[in-house]
Amino acid sequence: MSGKDRIPLFPSRGAQTQMKARLKGAQTGHSLLKKKADALQLRLRLVLSKIIDTKVLMGDVMKEAAFSLAEAKFTTGDFNQVVLQNVTKAQIKVRSRKDNVAGVHLPVFESYQDGADTYELAGLARGGQQLAKLKKNYQKAVALLVDLASLQTSFITLDEAIKVTNRRVNAIEHVIIPRIERTLSYIISELDEYEREEFYRLKKIQNKKKRMKQEAEIEKAIRKAKGINFDHAANILEDNEDEDLLF
Amino acid sequence: MSDFPSSARPGKLLAIIGDEDTCVGFLLGGIGQLDKHRKSNFFVVDKSLYPSATNIEEIENAFQQFVKRDDVDIILINQHVAEVIRNVIDRHTSPIPAVLEIPSKDYPYDPSKDSILRRAKGMYTAEDFR
Amino acid sequence: MVLMTEYQFNIDSGYLEGLVRGFKNGILTRADYLNLVQCETLEDLKLHLQSTDYGNFLANEPGSLAVATIDDKLREKLVIEFQHMRHMSYEPLSTFLDFITYSYMIDNIILLITGTLHQRPISELIPKCHPLGSFEQMEAIHVASTPAELYNAVLVDTPLAPFFVDCISEKDLDEMNIEIIRNTLYKAFLEAFYKFCEDLGGATADTMCKILAFEADRRAFIITINSFGTELTKDDRAKLYPRCGLLYPDGLAMLARADDYEQVKSVAGYYSEYSVLFEGAGNNPGEKTLEDKFFEHEVELNMLAFMQQFHYGIFYSYLRLKEQECRNIVWIAECVAQKHKAKIDNYIPIM
Repeated sequence: MSGKDRIPLFPSRGAQTQMKARLKGAQTGHSLLKKKADALQLRLRLVLSKIIDTKVLMGDVMKEAAFSLAEAKFTTGDFNQVVLQNVTKAQIKVRSRKDNVAGVHLPVFESYQDGADTYELAGLARGGQQLAKLKKNYQKAVALLVDLASLQTSFITLDEAIKVTNRRVNAIEHVIIPRIERTLSYIISELDEYEREEFYRLKKIQNKKKRMKQEAEIEKAIRKAKGINFDHAANILEDNEDEDLLF
Repeated sequence: MSDFPSSARPGKLLAIIGDEDTCVGFLLGGIGQLDKHRKSNFFVVDKSLYPSATNIEEIENAFQQFVKRDDVDIILINQHVAEVIRNVIDRHTSPIPAVLEIPSKDYPYDPSKDSILRRAKGMYTAEDFR
Repeated sequence: MVLMTEYQFNIDSGYLEGLVRGFKNGILTRADYLNLVQCETLEDLKLHLQSTDYGNFLANEPGSLAVATIDDKLREKLVIEFQHMRHMSYEPLSTFLDFITYSYMIDNIILLITGTLHQRPISELIPKCHPLGSFEQMEAIHVASTPAELYNAVLVDTPLAPFFVDCISEKDLDEMNIEIIRNTLYKAFLEAFYKFCEDLGGATADTMCKILAFEADRRAFIITINSFGTELTKDDRAKLYPRCGLLYPDGLAMLARADDYEQVKSVAGYYSEYSVLFEGAGNNPGEKTLEDKFFEHEVELNMLAFMQQFHYGIFYSYLRLKEQECRNIVWIAECVAQKHKAKIDNYIPIM
């Protein structure tokens, strides 16, 4: 804890209160993000189970559609090329809107019909009913696939969002909060240190004063013993009992 | 989400890459479109060429082009075709356009190969795939 | 006169008739179908087909077998047989065989026109055309870039020109729905073919007229039924009815006024041949659809053609039966490939 990773500031009482507030904030943020991650995770699981269901369903629908293609070919003969060449304008298009889950925007696709059927008269003389069935089957498949696409994009977006959120949660949990805590304990230890120094200094002065007082006391006692009154400071000018030192 | 502009805009298309029958089916379903430049939103993978190297390149190109087109929201691709260009598909990670792997009549659907479901593994046990 | 043609028939066409009867014996039997239906994989199917007249036609296919390959190979075999006959034939049989190819030509031309209208490269389309309907001028279509050029420069030179000239003008090409053009052409073709067979006279006329009349009436019925709920008006619809069947003229007039399936059915009620077919048809699962019924009837008529000798009808009938057989095999192959056995028995057996 040599202050290797802490916020660089001057350890003071003010800084300590500030840090305390920050710690509190980080903790709230952490729990909120955690909640968000949980919500997203929940949604992701939901989407995933739906994807799996839909994919299985799609398998069946596609099988049915492919089979109706075979049926249509059985009555009409080969019409692949005519269809491939006769493409003009899409009849089914996709619209997207956004769904909001815990602040994450999930695209939702919707298919809608637009314009007339280019192949309305295909198979007029042969196999028209089979073709109509075929078209219906494939339209059903398209609708399902569009749903699946929404789910899938949701899945990817959610997955991404969860990763980001988890990263944030982890960052707060393992980097930011420890750092603030470290800073706080640094401030506290620094402040303690000051206090100890101050205390020591006070003690020192007190000691010194005490010693000086004691010394004075002792001297006073000695002098008293010698009969010198120290009660009032000796006045050189007034001193009449002063012995002649030279004689 | 910056690549996701507001929802008030014209309808987007579905694009399809697949064998002839799959394409024909979906075109009959009404998703086919030729734009002003005579560019279609479908790509037929010719069986006779498949899977030579040039053909793979062509499929990759077609896929990249559909990804780049901003009027395509969903790309449908036959799973057996997707297998051939799996690395390209795995590299496509943005949510739009969505890439959907669909079964073709000769190759039934195999969830274990699906890019999305493989991504979802780990979260789900094998039981859920059934 | 009739006797004369029959005496002389073998001079020019005796060999071919023998040949086609031989081919006809190669058509799959009920037992063959029963075997095919039980196949689990396409490989099994291939093995079973090897034991029939088809022999090793799939032997050179590398890798796993696809239904489309089977389809191509079946068609290829049929085309080779037909072209062999066409090369050996004398007038008027060669013209008769040409007439048969016209129906394929119509499909090809329609495909090419569609391609041109959508500005697709024609060279890409040529290989996709049905080989029976290919003609010399086909390659030239790519010269034309606009529908008008197509009409003036190319179509008038094709063998189909007479059908075009009568019913489709230059500007129709641009405006009309391609399917309507196709059906208009087909109608003109049917009528011309009918006339041609009538002129040939004899047993040919007897058998062919029956078959073509049925074909014409079938188209009329199906077109009517399929036009319900579409943008096709009653007038336009009436123009597509081939006028050479039993329905002409009264039945067609009634069909032209029909508004729903029941009315079509009541029209069919006036004709004993067709009322039977309508009676047995239904759209519920397990029931044969009307089109299946028509197919069965067609097969029956074509089989009858083989009951007589010294006429050209068997060539047409053989081709038709063979086509039906190809569709049957492809159908069974699809069912096997897609493991969808519930409807595998829906093929039209050829007795």
